[in-house]
Amino acid sequence: MDPLRILVVEDEMTIALLIEDMLTDLGHQVVGLAMRLPQAMELAASAVIDFAILDVNLDGHMSFPVADLLRGRGVPFVFATGYGSAGLGEHYRGKAHVVKKPFRIEDLRSAIEHVAFLD
Amino acid sequence: MHSRSDAAADAAAPDQTFPVGGGELGELVRRHPWAETSLGPISAWSPALRTATNIVLQSPLPLVMLWGPDGVMIYNDAYSVFAGQRHPRLLGSKVLEGWAEVAEFNAHVLEVGLAGGTLSFKDQELTLYRNNRPEQVWMDLNYGPVLGDDDTPAGVLAIVVETTGQVRAERERAEAEAKVRASEERFRALVTATSDVVYQMSPDWREMRQLAGQGFLADTDSPSIAWVDEYLLAEDQPQILAVIEASIRDRATFQLEHRVRQADGAVGWTFSRAVPLLGEDGEIERWFGAASDVTPRRQAEEHLRLVINELNHRVKNTLAMMQAIAAQTFRSADDLDQAQEKFTGRIMALARANDLLTGEKWVGASLGDVIEMTLEGYSAADAGQCVVAGPPVQLTAKTALSVSMALHELATNAAKHGAWSSATGRIAITWQVSPAERGQRLRLEWRESGGPPVAPPARRGFGSRLIERGLATEMGGTARLEFEPDGLVCVLDAPLAGGD
Repeated sequence: MDPLRILVVEDEMTIALLIEDMLTDLGHQVVGLAMRLPQAMELAASAVIDFAILDVNLDGHMSFPVADLLRGRGVPFVFATGYGSAGLGEHYRGKAHVVKKPFRIEDLRSAIEHVAFLD
Repeated sequence: MHSRSDAAADAAAPDQTFPVGGGELGELVRRHPWAETSLGPISAWSPALRTATNIVLQSPLPLVMLWGPDGVMIYNDAYSVFAGQRHPRLLGSKVLEGWAEVAEFNAHVLEVGLAGGTLSFKDQELTLYRNNRPEQVWMDLNYGPVLGDDDTPAGVLAIVVETTGQVRAERERAEAEAKVRASEERFRALVTATSDVVYQMSPDWREMRQLAGQGFLADTDSPSIAWVDEYLLAEDQPQILAVIEASIRDRATFQLEHRVRQADGAVGWTFSRAVPLLGEDGEIERWFGAASDVTPRRQAEEHLRLVINELNHRVKNTLAMMQAIAAQTFRSADDLDQAQEKFTGRIMALARANDLLTGEKWVGASLGDVIEMTLEGYSAADAGQCVVAGPPVQLTAKTALSVSMALHELATNAAKHGAWSSATGRIAITWQVSPAERGQRLRLEWRESGGPPVAPPARRGFGSRLIERGLATEMGGTARLEFEPDGLVCVLDAPLAGGD
C-alpha cells in the first residue's frame, strides 16, 4: 500500500496522538492535525491530502461540514467515533465508513484500505 | 248453524230479530231478560231506545249507553274488551252497581247527561277492579245525552277509549328523558372537573363533533372535518389514522400516545383514549374520548435519552483516551515498572481532572483551579517551591483537561529530573492575558530554576509530544519546551476561546 498523506481531525489530544502514531506505524504521513472545527475546515479546504480521519463531535460541533468539503474535493475519509454509526447525521448514515472508538491499529488499517482503494 | 239451545232461547224471546247483528253483544242483548230491568221487555222498548241500541252495537268504537235514571248499561263488543271480567255481567246492570268502585264519578255523569249536558275527560285516571284486582287505568271519556221519544234526555252515551298504554309509554319516555338529562349533567360536571381534553367523534372519525381543549388544545365547539389538519402534524397523520381505522374496524378502544399541535401553536404530546358508544343495533353511534397532556414527561424522557447518549459517548471517549495513554506510555518504555508508574500517574491525573470538571458540570474550569488541582500532592509544591500567578482565565472543559494533562507531565518530570528533584529548585507558573486581533491571547510560562543542571534529552518522550504537538494543536497556538541551563522552560502561546 502506497503511503498516504492524511489529515487527522480529533478533538481529544491523547487520542489524536495515538492515531498519529498508528498512521505512522502503518507507513502513512500525517500532514495535518486539527482538534477544532475551524482548523479542520481550513485544512480540509487547502491541505494537500489523500485521505482523512474525522472525529464526529469536535468539542460540541459536528464535523459534517468538514466531510462535505472533503467530498467536494474527492478526498476519501472515514469517521472515527464513540457513537458508532448511530452518531452519524441523517446526511451520512449508511453513506460513510465508521471506525468505532476505541479501535486497534488493524481496524484503522482495514478501514483505510477499504475506503481509500474503493474510491 | 242454529244449535238446539239457540232454538230454545229464540222460543223464549219473542222479539228475536232485534237488534240485528251487533256481534257477540248483539246476541247477548237479544237474549237478555230485559223484563227484569227498569227498561222492560225488549219488545216494548221505545223507538228511541231501539235506535240508540242499534247505534251502540254497530259502532267499532267502544261505546256504552246508560239508559234511564238508573243508568242501565248497554254496550258493544269493543267496550266488552275494556270491561274485562266484568263482562258479560255488566250488561243490563245499573252503572252505579256495575262499576261500584267509581260510582261517584258515574253518578255525576248521569246527573249531567240526563240534564242534557256533555262531559269530556282526557286521560282520566281511574282505579278499576275489572279483573278482580285493582288496576290503574287511564281513559279518554266523552259523554253526551241520548234523547228519548219525547226529545228530552233519556240516557247517556259514552265513548270509552282506554289510553293506559299511551299514558304509560309517555311516562316512561319522560322518565328516560329525565335520566338522560341527569346523565348529561353528570357528564358535563365530569368534563368541567377533569384536566383532560374531552372529545367526541363521528362513528367513522371523519368529523369531530366537539372537543374541550382545557387550554392545552384549541376548542372545537361545532362539528368539524378539518380536525385532522388542525390537531395532527402532517407526518404523523398516516400512523395515527391507521390506529383509528383499526379501532373502528374492531369497535375497540382507541389508545395512542402521539404528537399534537397545541393551542399555543407549539408541538406537544398527548395520551389519547376513546371508546365507541354502540347503538341498540350494535353499530357505533359516536366515539367519546379523553386526552391528557404528557408533553412534560416526553420532554423529560427526551432529555434523559440525550444525557444517556452523551454519557455513553463520554465513556467510549474516556476508554479511547485510556487506550491512547497506555499505548503511548508503553511503546517508548525501557523499563516496565517505570512505565507502569507513569501510566498510573497519568490515569490518576485524568481522573482528578474529570473530578474538577464534574464539579463544574462539564462547563469548564478556571486556569488557577486546574493548576492547583494538578500540583496537589507534590511535596515540593507544598513546601513552597512553587509560585503561581496570573489573572482569572476560564477554560472550556476539554481545554482544561488537556492543560491538566500537560501540567501533569511537566510536574512529574520536575519531581524526577528537574527543579523539584532538589530542595533548592523553584518553579514559577505565570500567565498573562493580552488583547489580540480577535478576542484575547494567553501566554503561560512554566519556568524551573535552581535545580540540577539541565541538558536536552536524547529522545523526546510522550510528555514532550503531548505538550508541543497535542496541547499546541488543542489550543490553536504554540507550545515550546526549552531546556535552558538554569532549568526547563515551557511557554504556551494561544488564543483564548470565546467561551464556547
